[in-house]
Amino acid sequence: MLSLIFKNFIRSKGTKIGLLFLLCIGFISLLIGKQFQDKQIHTIEQARVYQKEHIARNAAFHKDEIGLLLYYIKFSLVNKTLPINSLAIGQRDVNPSIQNVTIRGLEGQKYDAELNNPNNLLAGNIDFSFVLIYLFPLLIIAFSYNLISEEKESGTWKIVATQSQNTFFYILKLFYVRILSLIALLSILLFIAVLFLNIPFDTSLFVFYGLGILYILFWFAVCFFIVSLQKHSNFNAVILLTIWLFLIIIVPAGINAYIVTKYKVPEALELTLKQRNAYHEKWDTDKNETMEKFYKHYPQFRTYKIPADKEFTWLWYYAMQQMGDDESAVQSRELESKLQQRNLASQSIAQFIPTLHTQLQLNEIAHADLGNQLLFLKETSKFHEKLRLYFYPKIFDNAPVNAENWEKFKVETFSDNTKISFAKAFVPLLLFNLLLIGFGWFNFTRKTV
Amino acid sequence: MNILHSELLIAKHLRHSVFKNTAVFIITLFIGILLLYATFSGWENYKSQNETSEKYQHESREDWLKNPDKNPHRMAHYGNFAFRKSTPLSVFEFGMEPFFGNAIFLEAHKQNTANFSEAGFSNSMLRFGEISIALVLQVLLPLLIFFLGFNSIAYERENGTLKILLTQGINWKQLLIGKTLGIASVIMMLFVPAIVILIFVWLLLQDFSITADQTFKMILFVLFHLVYLLFFCVIAVLVSAISKTSKKALITLIGIWLLFTIILPRTTQAIGAYIYEAPSKIQFTSDIEKDILKQGDSHNPNDPHYKAIKDSLLSAYKVDSVQKLPFNYSGFIMTEGEKISSRIYNEHLAELLQVYKKQNSFSKTVSFLNPYIAMKNLSMGLSNTDYESYVDFQQQAEDYRYMMAQKMNALQIKYISNKKPSAGDKPYSISKEHWADVEDFHYEPKKIGTVLENEIISIISIFLWITLLFILIRIAAQKLKAI
Repeated sequence: MLSLIFKNFIRSKGTKIGLLFLLCIGFISLLIGKQFQDKQIHTIEQARVYQKEHIARNAAFHKDEIGLLLYYIKFSLVNKTLPINSLAIGQRDVNPSIQNVTIRGLEGQKYDAELNNPNNLLAGNIDFSFVLIYLFPLLIIAFSYNLISEEKESGTWKIVATQSQNTFFYILKLFYVRILSLIALLSILLFIAVLFLNIPFDTSLFVFYGLGILYILFWFAVCFFIVSLQKHSNFNAVILLTIWLFLIIIVPAGINAYIVTKYKVPEALELTLKQRNAYHEKWDTDKNETMEKFYKHYPQFRTYKIPADKEFTWLWYYAMQQMGDDESAVQSRELESKLQQRNLASQSIAQFIPTLHTQLQLNEIAHADLGNQLLFLKETSKFHEKLRLYFYPKIFDNAPVNAENWEKFKVETFSDNTKISFAKAFVPLLLFNLLLIGFGWFNFTRKTV
Repeated sequence: MNILHSELLIAKHLRHSVFKNTAVFIITLFIGILLLYATFSGWENYKSQNETSEKYQHESREDWLKNPDKNPHRMAHYGNFAFRKSTPLSVFEFGMEPFFGNAIFLEAHKQNTANFSEAGFSNSMLRFGEISIALVLQVLLPLLIFFLGFNSIAYERENGTLKILLTQGINWKQLLIGKTLGIASVIMMLFVPAIVILIFVWLLLQDFSITADQTFKMILFVLFHLVYLLFFCVIAVLVSAISKTSKKALITLIGIWLLFTIILPRTTQAIGAYIYEAPSKIQFTSDIEKDILKQGDSHNPNDPHYKAIKDSLLSAYKVDSVQKLPFNYSGFIMTEGEKISSRIYNEHLAELLQVYKKQNSFSKTVSFLNPYIAMKNLSMGLSNTDYESYVDFQQQAEDYRYMMAQKMNALQIKYISNKKPSAGDKPYSISKEHWADVEDFHYEPKKIGTVLENEIISIISIFLWITLLFILIRIAAQKLKAI
């Protein structure tokens, strides 16, 4: 019986076209992922070469004044890109994966944007997560909207009903065949991805796969529930497409609008203005006042004094730069906490919207979500502080430039060690699936088919 | 009136049957609510975006003017900001706005990126889309039209009532036009009130003092959306007429809708981006740096380019050192440096924008096949939220930056002494009155003429589609059969 059902399903022209289409576009998504990966690797490689050349050139040039040299040179910090990121590009196209900073004021450099074609951003990537989240459900709907209803409309249902002992079992088998074929498709695509994109077999991949399967099951559960209402095919099609539209566009967009208005971030602009003024006004205020503030922040540098007979010293200059950061620290913290709130709010609301939940989880696994970006920004601050603490005494002592081994300043890498929580990833989808299947079951048993 | 008598009758009949269907009634009501919500959130967005940008533009200007007497070069480093402002129509069409950086810091020697885009501060939620009037008009209403229209003729065929209609002296053309009008009249019940509210909000936003340019853009916005919706009505009726069953009609229409609004826009842009790869930021900046170094380094006293300038100045003024020149030498050199670095930057930027343009060319061309893309591009152009507007904003900011830097250099050449102050002396400075000479940054959105010029492909595409549908109605009216 099952093999007949399977033959019947797979022989239909629509099925073949649908599966082939999804396989093709899935493969295209992997190509796009590959290009993204290559570009990331290439960019990081370039950053390495660039930093080496850049530092060597400047060190040869400004060899008498280490203070002046450090005014110019930039150090890079890379946000590590996981191979699995190619499957869910997430926010990594909007946010830069490399930070380039000098040891001057950080707040003016930290939020520098990536170069982007806004048209690409608006259209969105065709990465694997898009195929999974947008397109798989469409095929699932196309495969299941007319189960039973079609047979009822064409009059063949009565024959089926009289020929099988249990019609409910028959319906389950119809779903079983479809579920199996789509999960097979997902597995094939992921398997190709693993080979093609060098994705390691680890927890991340496992959770990714698990989420994919649960997400596919979620849509089958939705279809199962709608089919259980036993309405006309046309009604099913309209209602399923409307559900899809809601979960894919309207609800996420609505929630986004809510979050954006609830957690506004005027601090961003406030911060840039503040750090500019805080630094620049120090040129025209009492030097000793500035120095006093600086010593308060770094008591260990109190021994360095500015000479009374010199108008300009690097000690004073970097103290002024430091004030740009110190005096805008309030705004900086506020901005960070607002963004943190945005992230938490969207994650907790997303638990109730399976599409959104899946997308956010996939991005989190791929280290391409807002949470990762915030951690990267934090790490950038640490990286910057480390450089400052290293170079400050050298600058204040006016240490000779060629006494420093500049070769040792390589591009550094930040890896996000956030643990993946199975419960957080799987439970919301599982609950939705059980709920929908339960209701569907109830409907089927209530109305004998 | 008499001429269209039968058509109107058919239309009226369709409208009645539509509202007997509660599901449709609920969906229509719901879209109505969504329209209101979209207006509200668009309004809110626009207000906060413009208030913030105005507030900080003003504040940054005050800060600039408040600076005490100082060396003009320090003012050039103090810099200015360009904050992006939205136009009133962007309340209805957000376009690419969430992906645009909202502030550019403008300083000497350096072209900074436009920072703080909404997208950068968002979790990937934003990437699902945004609720705007444009989304409702361009994406949701066409789907509603298809839901209303798939039955229009196919159901009559299934029922056998089609034969009766046709034997009663109604011809195919009347039937097609009548059904189209019927669907259109239902849609107008949403569209007309929406437009009325829209115009009211739009007037309110500008305190009822509107410019001819904005008015013209608004009129075109409304008209093109009207045409766009009508033409989905025609497609719905035509597909319904050629389909054997209403189910087939529905599936075909859903397929068309998915292709037009979801699949094609993303795919075509992705193809463009895949084929024409844009350089990364690090490559872009390091290329610029290399080219500037090739030209000469103004900080290197032995650089041939700058040495030649120095020598020619010395001989022209018949002096033996730059300190004896009658104007500030380092100001002069910085003017030259700024000129060179800006030229090189602009050349590289032009190359980059050329790559972006090529990326976008695919989806632009596809607008001939896809009315949704044509409409989207046009409405983004009118609301100043399209790609061109962004490039335009950055260009205006860069022009301003260059002007500011060179003005400060000119002040330095003119007023700052050529002798280096000795160690204990106060640094040279000029009066703060000069700061007001640099005008505030003012962003000027594109005028309607430029918009129409940029979007000529979209306009041609929409007109071609209209012609095509007229032709199709004609052909259909002759070839269609009742069974």
